[in-house]
Amino acid sequence: MNSDDDRQARFDELAGAYGADLYRFAMWICGDDALAKDLVQETYLRAWKALDKLQDTGAAKSWLITILRREYARTFERKVPKFTDIDTVVVPEDGELEPDDRADLDILRRSILGLAPKYREPLLMQVILGYSCEEISDELGVSKSAVMTQLFRAREQLKAKLQKDGVTGNVHGLY
Amino acid sequence: MSMDFTEFKRLLGADPRSRDPEFRRARASSPEFEKAAAEADRFEDVLARAVSVPVPEGLLDDVRSIPRRHSAAATERRWWPMAMAAALLVAVGAAGVTWKMNPSWDSVEDYVSDHYRHDGADVLALADGQVAGEVQALLAEFDVEALPALADIIGVIKYCPTPDGRGVHMVLNSERGPITVIYMPDTPVADRERIAFDDREAMLVGLKSGSAAIIGTPAQQISDLHALVQASLVPLPRRS
Repeated sequence: MNSDDDRQARFDELAGAYGADLYRFAMWICGDDALAKDLVQETYLRAWKALDKLQDTGAAKSWLITILRREYARTFERKVPKFTDIDTVVVPEDGELEPDDRADLDILRRSILGLAPKYREPLLMQVILGYSCEEISDELGVSKSAVMTQLFRAREQLKAKLQKDGVTGNVHGLY
Repeated sequence: MSMDFTEFKRLLGADPRSRDPEFRRARASSPEFEKAAAEADRFEDVLARAVSVPVPEGLLDDVRSIPRRHSAAATERRWWPMAMAAALLVAVGAAGVTWKMNPSWDSVEDYVSDHYRHDGADVLALADGQVAGEVQALLAEFDVEALPALADIIGVIKYCPTPDGRGVHMVLNSERGPITVIYMPDTPVADRERIAFDDREAMLVGLKSGSAAIIGTPAQQISDLHALVQASLVPLPRRS
């Protein structure tokens, strides 16, 4: 295998391993399906150009997330993303759920989009990307205790919203 | 010393999947702790399901094709300036260099005809519909964007001089053949004014931000594109 093939193979591995999670993370931080797709493609384009700088494969995920967050910040400076109604960006595979449970998930999704970015972003890093509190702290450049407070408050706000909206089904009775 | 319930609830809310040994022990330390942990687990399951939106079909294939597309684009970028330079040399010779170095016109009408004579035909010939990714990035530098109805038919886009600084030279791949549009970010014009020169005609377009000139042949009936250009070349939304 020549070096070009090797480089392509490394890139394919990154796309397969992290592409889906990067899209989900991007979708939830920007709330726009088209922008999320652009962000993922731009992230991987930059990753391809800088692939030789990635020495530690174990750090690939955080490397990609850092690129994506920077690109999102750059996009946000240039253009305010159009926040689309969640109904148009989420096509949930919830067909097997009862109607009440689907409604509960819908409320939860809207509530997640309604969280302030400082609560939403660490929560998504933890839930979608599987980041530890230390990893979130490193990525966001805030202390671990601040991250834990943000995560706690994010969940409290979601639970309060669900209670207020009188959810039923699977999430009923949790609080 | 074992973890008290308040601290346990705080950790459950912040990091319910924590592998901290003390936290793991506390989960099963009493019925009260067990109940709280079970409730947290159920909430995490619902939360994970809520955020797990499906990935658009084809996205990962598009990502995997980035190296190939990037390589093709890089090759095109390497050749494009040379092709342009050669075309310009053949078409306008040394006069073209002078034109770019000393852009000064008495009127917008003079500018439009002069600009088109300079490289209009050469740029028209480059229209290939391969610039989708570059359109918005280039226009964004002027704080404008092209809405899809326009962006989708732009086949060439590049910087160009205008009477008041840098602007954008585009070629639209229209149903009536390639049509030139020049965006002038800082040049006021009389909307819908027509200009005729050589075998071409142009129509000026007043925009919310800047102006444009549409240039084509009489047979292309460029006035029909006035509404499209005016409605589709718009300022970027501003952050409120």
